[in-house]
Amino acid sequence: MQVIRSSSMIKALKNLSRYCAYAIALSACMSISASTTSITPLTTDKELSAWQQIQKSGENQDVYFHAWGGDPQINAYIQWAAKAVDDAYNINLVHVKLSDTSEAVSRVLAEKSANNDTQGSVDLIWINGANFASMSENSLLLKDWANNLPNFVLTDPKNNPSVTYDFGIPTKGMESPWGQASLTFYYDSLAIDQPPATLTELASWTQQNPGRFSYPKPPDFLGMSFLKYALIMLHEQNDAQAGTNIQAQLNQPVSDSNKDIVLEPLWDFLDELHPSLWREGQQFLQSGAQMRRLVDDTELSLAFTFSGPEVPAAVQRYDLPLSIRSYAMRDGSLSNTHFVAIPYNASHTEAAQLVANFLLSPEAQAYKQDPSVWGDKSVLVSSILSREQQALFKTNQPHPSALPFDAINRTVSEPHPSWVEAIMQGWQARYGVRE
Amino acid sequence: MNQSFGNDTEKLGNDSKKPDNDLNPVRPHKADLFTRIVTLSPKLLLIILILPVLGGLISVLLPAFGWVPAIEQTTFGLQGFQALWQTSGLGQMVALSLATGLISTLLAFMTALMILAAFFDSIWLTRIERLLSPILVIPHAAAAIAVGFLIAPSGMMARLVSPWLSGWELAPQGIFPHDPYGISIILGLMLKELPFLLLMSLGALAQPELGKKLREQYKVALNLGYYPITAFFKAVFPLLYPLLRLPILAVLAYASASVEMPLILGPNTPPTLAVTIMQWFNDVDLNLRLKASAGAILQLLLTGGLIALWLGAERTIKALCKGALTNGKRHYIDSIWQRFTAALTVLIIGFIALSLIGLVTWSVAGYWRFPAMLPEQLVLLHFQSAFTQLGTPLFNTLTIGIISTVFAIVLTLLCLESESLSRKSISSFTSLIIYLPLLVPSIAFLFGLVWLQQLLTHQAAFFHVTFTHLLFVLPYVFLSLASSYRRLDTRFANVAASLGASPVRVFLQVKLPQLFAPILIAIALGLAVSFGQYLPTLLASGGRIATITTEAVTLANGASRRTSAVYAMIQMVLPLVGFIVAWVLPKYFFRSGTRYR
Repeated sequence: MQVIRSSSMIKALKNLSRYCAYAIALSACMSISASTTSITPLTTDKELSAWQQIQKSGENQDVYFHAWGGDPQINAYIQWAAKAVDDAYNINLVHVKLSDTSEAVSRVLAEKSANNDTQGSVDLIWINGANFASMSENSLLLKDWANNLPNFVLTDPKNNPSVTYDFGIPTKGMESPWGQASLTFYYDSLAIDQPPATLTELASWTQQNPGRFSYPKPPDFLGMSFLKYALIMLHEQNDAQAGTNIQAQLNQPVSDSNKDIVLEPLWDFLDELHPSLWREGQQFLQSGAQMRRLVDDTELSLAFTFSGPEVPAAVQRYDLPLSIRSYAMRDGSLSNTHFVAIPYNASHTEAAQLVANFLLSPEAQAYKQDPSVWGDKSVLVSSILSREQQALFKTNQPHPSALPFDAINRTVSEPHPSWVEAIMQGWQARYGVRE
Repeated sequence: MNQSFGNDTEKLGNDSKKPDNDLNPVRPHKADLFTRIVTLSPKLLLIILILPVLGGLISVLLPAFGWVPAIEQTTFGLQGFQALWQTSGLGQMVALSLATGLISTLLAFMTALMILAAFFDSIWLTRIERLLSPILVIPHAAAAIAVGFLIAPSGMMARLVSPWLSGWELAPQGIFPHDPYGISIILGLMLKELPFLLLMSLGALAQPELGKKLREQYKVALNLGYYPITAFFKAVFPLLYPLLRLPILAVLAYASASVEMPLILGPNTPPTLAVTIMQWFNDVDLNLRLKASAGAILQLLLTGGLIALWLGAERTIKALCKGALTNGKRHYIDSIWQRFTAALTVLIIGFIALSLIGLVTWSVAGYWRFPAMLPEQLVLLHFQSAFTQLGTPLFNTLTIGIISTVFAIVLTLLCLESESLSRKSISSFTSLIIYLPLLVPSIAFLFGLVWLQQLLTHQAAFFHVTFTHLLFVLPYVFLSLASSYRRLDTRFANVAASLGASPVRVFLQVKLPQLFAPILIAIALGLAVSFGQYLPTLLASGGRIATITTEAVTLANGASRRTSAVYAMIQMVLPLVGFIVAWVLPKYFFRSGTRYR
């Protein structure tokens, strides 16, 4: 208790010293302005646009970018971006590698509960979906900045809801789009001739090839994505057969009344699927990265990812065999946008905005989309770009393991983020502990 | 290595010093600054070790009983424990933690004993020790990665028999690693702790008086017709065990609460208690802190229970076997045991060698499809891409390691000097305290400690990490230096003092050069311990400071076998470089200084 009290004492002292500093600064300003009023009023600050001011104050700062760090390719891209913002603005971009984005969310939450409202350790965070929903719900994010980034217009926000809605929740300028992802499947062509192309085919293929497929354990993002894909497809089938419209509930928040009726088909499906999964569904994969490694080990023959271009890149790095082929499910590919956001208490908000704007630039987006770099789909709308900018996105001959250019014939959007929690809890209760 | 724990050796040591003491008492004429610093240093050591551990424990205890002002929970209650009881699979988590901790320690201990017994007083003992001791410096994460490569369904073992024997064209459906019974964890922990226990035993046997006495007793027993293994267990083991007790308990405490091995090798439906607690503490939902803190208390009880169980079993076995010691029976199917131990030793060394070969091969492998024995091509790409991203983690690893180790060395030397100035060995209480950070499960006190550190300042992540490392470096440095310091020939110091040298001069110019080699070894050990820290680095820095080890663990279950092999290799090479330097330098400097009585 005494420790607490003394910390509030320290805080009071800090505030006091801050007020002193303000007072000194204010009096200094007054004396300066007093001496200059006779010549010309100070208008230079107003002449600078809001963005130029951000640029001015954001230069020469550190930016702690909290981003999932499990993929060397993405890490290398962030390092490339760090070098670019260092050259352009002398910003020291530090990639804080998370094994789960929720670590950063809990950090900001902890800082807020410790009344650290200005000196936060997180400046920029790679985020979307449930983590964004939880941060915006708790007012942990800086508002109304992303829509003012100069490069934001290149995403055509008026006609492109995918950059202003994150899993159906309006972003309100709290996050700047970074990339787009669709659920892409890949398989070992030496082990499978014809991969399953719908959820139903997947289920019967797994029965015939037991142990060669699995998904990451919820709450892993990729595992949850697979469950959401399955849930949507199951309801499409059921609705088409029964003439109901339960699928519409997926775009509504979870409630006690719709929860069981919506999730029941998923549990039935999984009860049947699990015994023919890898390790008979008694152990699940830790992450999508582990799933990819097990495909390389030939333990799994079929897998999926949310960033399709990582597959050919992994083949080029020897992390997957040359026999790997990518494809999209015929019944639909789950798609979403991922963003960067600035916590409300970030220490370097201006510099973080400079970084976010750079990440949105045609140069950075084109480099990111290059399959040999990261291959994450650009969020910029090509018709808005100038011809030179469009030229940046031209790629060479696609890699044989890459997703063919027109493979995605139908995208399905994410359900309301509240379903994530419901699926996760239901899953944990049913399958989290093996019998 | 840990002389202070054996009462017998204390007595022997003190007795033999006595004549010196009475003849030339080295007493500083007046307490100068150096002497005062030296006298204060043991207290500083105690404070540095006790405060963070106890403070951390209290800071976990409060939230466990519902007191978390940060989320406006200020009423004491049992909500945390209730939430904990309702966790599905809690029983399995506890059972897994208990079983892996106890069985791995027991196996490591018994194997170490069998090796000692079968090869006691033979050239093979030092050879085996030399073969195994590199394992000692391999961080747990790297060892886990290497073991995982070997036992996976597509690992080296399966490749050895495929497809000619097994017919496997695709990797089989196996259960390792991540098997639900924790066998992979037990295997990893056992292989990692075996060399530590072996080294501790050899360290004890290297003590001049005790070692000589035990070897003589052993010879007498042999002459009386006892078979070698029986002779070891009847004539050597009873005196050796007291010196091994604390290291074993430290191993037991570590094994029951470690995070790296279960994270890399263990199951996840559900994982061990320690891993679950870590996940709760890191969860977005701050309300989980109550449950996590309650879990930390449970972990503390589990570890405490295991230690109590071990001590109880020790008593029981002692009582039961008392008769057997003096029953005069000369052998218990010794030759079978001898052969069994030889086979076991070969098996273990082969297992380790094969894991290391697998690790090295993966780090340079191109395409390497199961069941090929060798990769299709060897490439340096993985090293190249790792090195472009290695700068910061490497710098952090080295700086944190060097700062914490230097501080630990200075403090340890001062403490030992105070011991020799006051002519009193540090109390057994202090000896126990030195082991405190190794005996209390770090998962239990680290979260509280981090919370305390955050209360002091948010912005000093680097300092927090270095300080937390110090907690784990200090015990090892102290244990490693203490025996050499206590074995120093005091006559040199006495002569120097009688010639008028001040205590500080004696310390710097007489004692330290004599200790050059042990100090270097202690530095290398301290660095190795610091390099290997995962949980302390992760927690104290809030993930902001990446070291080679945090990177290796993050990558271990991740995308690429090849990249994690590279990181595991770097994790191994760093401490090895330290030990090689520590081994080579004394051959060129202060050669005449290292003279023991």
